[in-house]
Amino acid sequence: MDLAEAFRNYEDKIVDEWVDYTLSSYKSSTFFKKGPDKFANPVGGNTREALAKLFKLLSKNADPGEFTEPLDQIMRIRSIQEFSASAAVAPIHAVKHITREILSKDEERKQFIADLYDFEFAVDLAVLAAFDLYMQCREQLYKVRIKEIKTGNHILTDSKCPSNLLKKDIDGLENLSVTNDLQDIRGN
Amino acid sequence: MALAKLEQLSKSVVQGPSLVTGAQPTKDWMDTPAIFKEGNFAYPAKKEKVEYLNSQDGLNFPNARIWSPDEDDWKLPEGWEKTIIDGLKERLDKFRSLKIFMDCCVRCGACADKCHFFLGTGDPKNMPVLRAELLRSIYRNDFTLAGKLFGKMAGAREMTVGVLKEWFMYSYQCTECRRCSVFCPYGIDTAEVTMMLRELLHLVGIGINWILEPVSNSNRTGNHMGLQPHTFKDNVDFLAEDVENLTGVKVNHTFNRKGAEILFITPSADVFAEPGLYTAMGYLALFEQIGLDYTWSTYASEGGNFGLFTSNETMKKLNGKMYAEAKRLGVKYILGGECGHMWRVLHQYMDTMNGPADFLEVPKSPITGTVFDNAKSTKMIHISEFTADLIRHGKLKLDPSRNANVMPTYHDSCNPARAMGLMDEPRYILDHVVPKWVEMPENTIREQTFCCGSGTGLNTDEIMELRMRSGLPRANAVKHVIDKHDVNMLSCVCAIDRATLSSLMDYWNPGCGVCGISELVGNALVMDNEKRAMGYGADGTESELPDGFRTMV
Repeated sequence: MDLAEAFRNYEDKIVDEWVDYTLSSYKSSTFFKKGPDKFANPVGGNTREALAKLFKLLSKNADPGEFTEPLDQIMRIRSIQEFSASAAVAPIHAVKHITREILSKDEERKQFIADLYDFEFAVDLAVLAAFDLYMQCREQLYKVRIKEIKTGNHILTDSKCPSNLLKKDIDGLENLSVTNDLQDIRGN
Repeated sequence: MALAKLEQLSKSVVQGPSLVTGAQPTKDWMDTPAIFKEGNFAYPAKKEKVEYLNSQDGLNFPNARIWSPDEDDWKLPEGWEKTIIDGLKERLDKFRSLKIFMDCCVRCGACADKCHFFLGTGDPKNMPVLRAELLRSIYRNDFTLAGKLFGKMAGAREMTVGVLKEWFMYSYQCTECRRCSVFCPYGIDTAEVTMMLRELLHLVGIGINWILEPVSNSNRTGNHMGLQPHTFKDNVDFLAEDVENLTGVKVNHTFNRKGAEILFITPSADVFAEPGLYTAMGYLALFEQIGLDYTWSTYASEGGNFGLFTSNETMKKLNGKMYAEAKRLGVKYILGGECGHMWRVLHQYMDTMNGPADFLEVPKSPITGTVFDNAKSTKMIHISEFTADLIRHGKLKLDPSRNANVMPTYHDSCNPARAMGLMDEPRYILDHVVPKWVEMPENTIREQTFCCGSGTGLNTDEIMELRMRSGLPRANAVKHVIDKHDVNMLSCVCAIDRATLSSLMDYWNPGCGVCGISELVGNALVMDNEKRAMGYGADGTESELPDGFRTMV
C-alpha cells in the first residue's frame, strides 16, 4: 500500500467532492451538479470532465504542460462568469484540502498525508497555470470585443455608414475622414 | 484542519465572502436585489432616439432622458407604478395568451434547466419559470384574490423600484428564443412574457440603445443601419460586381422595379457586414442563374424587425413596411432571405397584425411550378424553401467540391426552427452543396436548438461577457463536433447568428468560421457561361479559388 494506491482508491470520491465544491460556487448549483449530459449541462459536464482529467495528471506527477488542456476547459468558462479572479481560480486549489481530509479519515492510509508534498506542489503549479489561463481568456474576450467593433458586426448603432455620417455632420463633411463611400456620395 | 482551510479558501481574498459556500442561497429570491455594474447591462437608449420614436404616429415611447442603470435614480416619471399596473391591465385584457400564461403555470420546473442564460450563469432568476415569476408576482398582487388576501404567502408582491430593476435585468437576459417553451407541458411561451416585460418597461422610459436605435433607423430609412437608398443600392451593386469577378457572369439585379414578379427582402446586415455579405452574393448568383424576375427594395430594405423586441405596435409598423412596398410595386409575392426574427414575426404575428395579404398571390416558384400553400396567408416564402425546391426538381447544377475546404455543421437558428418549423430544408440544401457535413448532438439541434446567446437586440459589445455565458451551450456543442469531426464552419440561416456566432466562435472555438446556407449554395453553383476566377496554388498549379466568394472581399 502506498500513496499511489491511496489515490486510486479514493480517486472517484476526491473528484466527486472537488466537482461538488467547484459547482457550489454558482448561485443555483443543484442542476449543475446533477445533470448528467454534457450538452444539456455544459458547466457541470465540462467541470466534471476537466477536473477528473486534471486529478489523474496531478496524482501521477505528470508533466505540468499537460495540465493546460483540462485547465483551459474549466477556466475558459469561469473567466467570463461573475467571479473575481481569485474566486475563479480558487476551486483548483481546493483539491489539496479535499485530498487531505479524505485521507485523514482513513486510519490505514492517513500516514500517506506526509507524502503529499509532490502532489501539492503539482496543484500549486496548476493554480498558477489556471491564473495564466484566466488572464489569457480575459484578454481574448477584450480582443473579441474590439474585433467586433472593427469588423462592423456592431454597426447597428453609431454606424459609420455614409448616410449616418452625412446626417451628423453635413456641414463639416470636409473634416471627416473620407471613405470611398463618402466620395461616391459627393460625386468625386 | 483541511476543511477549515477549505472554508477559508471559500472567502475571496479581495472581495470578502464569495458564493463558494456549498450552501443554497440564504435569501429568498424576492429579497435578492438586481445589482447593475458595467458589463452586466446594455446601455440605455439615447434620449434623441426615444424622442424621435415617441414623435411617430402610433408609437409610444415616453420619458426620454439621460439615465443609466448603474445609478440609483432611474429618473422615473411621477406615478410610474400606476402606469405599469394600468399597462399590465390593458395587456391582460388585450392578450388572452398573457392572462393564461399568468394563471396556468404550475411551477413544475420542466423549463428551469433549458434556458441558455441559466445554463451559462447559474443564476436562478434566469430559469424561465422564475423569470416569468418576476411578472407573475405583480400580477398576483394586483389582479388575483389570493394575492390580494395573502400577499407574499401567495407569491405576490408590490410593484417597487427594485422589482422594476429586476425586470430590466432579466428581460434583457432572455433572447426570446423559446427553447423553454418546447419543454413546457402547458405550452407557456416565456418569450411572450419577456415581450410584455419589455413593453411595460418602455411605458416608463426604460429601453436599450442597441434596440431602439435600429428601430428608429428602420422607421426612418427602412433598415437597421440607417442606410439611405443610394447607399443601400451601392452596397448591393458592389456585391454584384464581386459575384461577377468570381464567376465571370454579369448580375442583372434591379431596385424598386414596379411589375417585378417577386420582391426580395433580406436583413440589411447581409448587404453590409461580414460574413453576411457572402450570403448576399449567394442570393445574387442564384437569382441570376435561374433568371428570376425579382427586385430589391431600398424602402423595404430590412428583413429584421427589432419591433419584436420592443412593443407590438412597433413590430406591426415595421412589418407593415414590407407589405406596403409589395403593394406599391405590384409584385405577386415576397421572397425572404436568411433572417431569424423576421420569420417569427411573419409566421406568428403578421397575419393578425397586418394580414391577410389579400392583394398578393399564393407564392408559386416560376422555375418549378411548386405552389407554397404553407404561405397561403402571408404570401412570403423563405429562401431555403425556395432553394430546396429548386434542387429537388433538379433545376440547379451544383458542384459540392467547390466547397471542399468547408466542413460544416448546421446551427438551427431559433426563430426559423421553432417559430416556423424550418428544419429540413437547410439540411437538404447542405446535402447537395457540400461534400460532407455533420450534425451537433441531438439535444442541441432542431427544435431543441440552443440560441446564439445574443438575439433580441443583445448583440452589443458592452455585454460581451454575458453573451459569452449565454452562448456557452451552443459553443459547447460546436466544440464537440470540431474535436470529433474537424468541423471548421458553423452554417446557419440568420443574420444575427452570422454576426453573433462569429464572436462566440472567436472566444470559445477560435478558427471556426460562420456562414449562411446561401453562401454555400452560391459557391457550389455551376452557372451558365461562367468563367471562374482562377488562382495559383503553392506549387504553381492553376485552380479555382478554394474560398469562393470569401476571396472577393
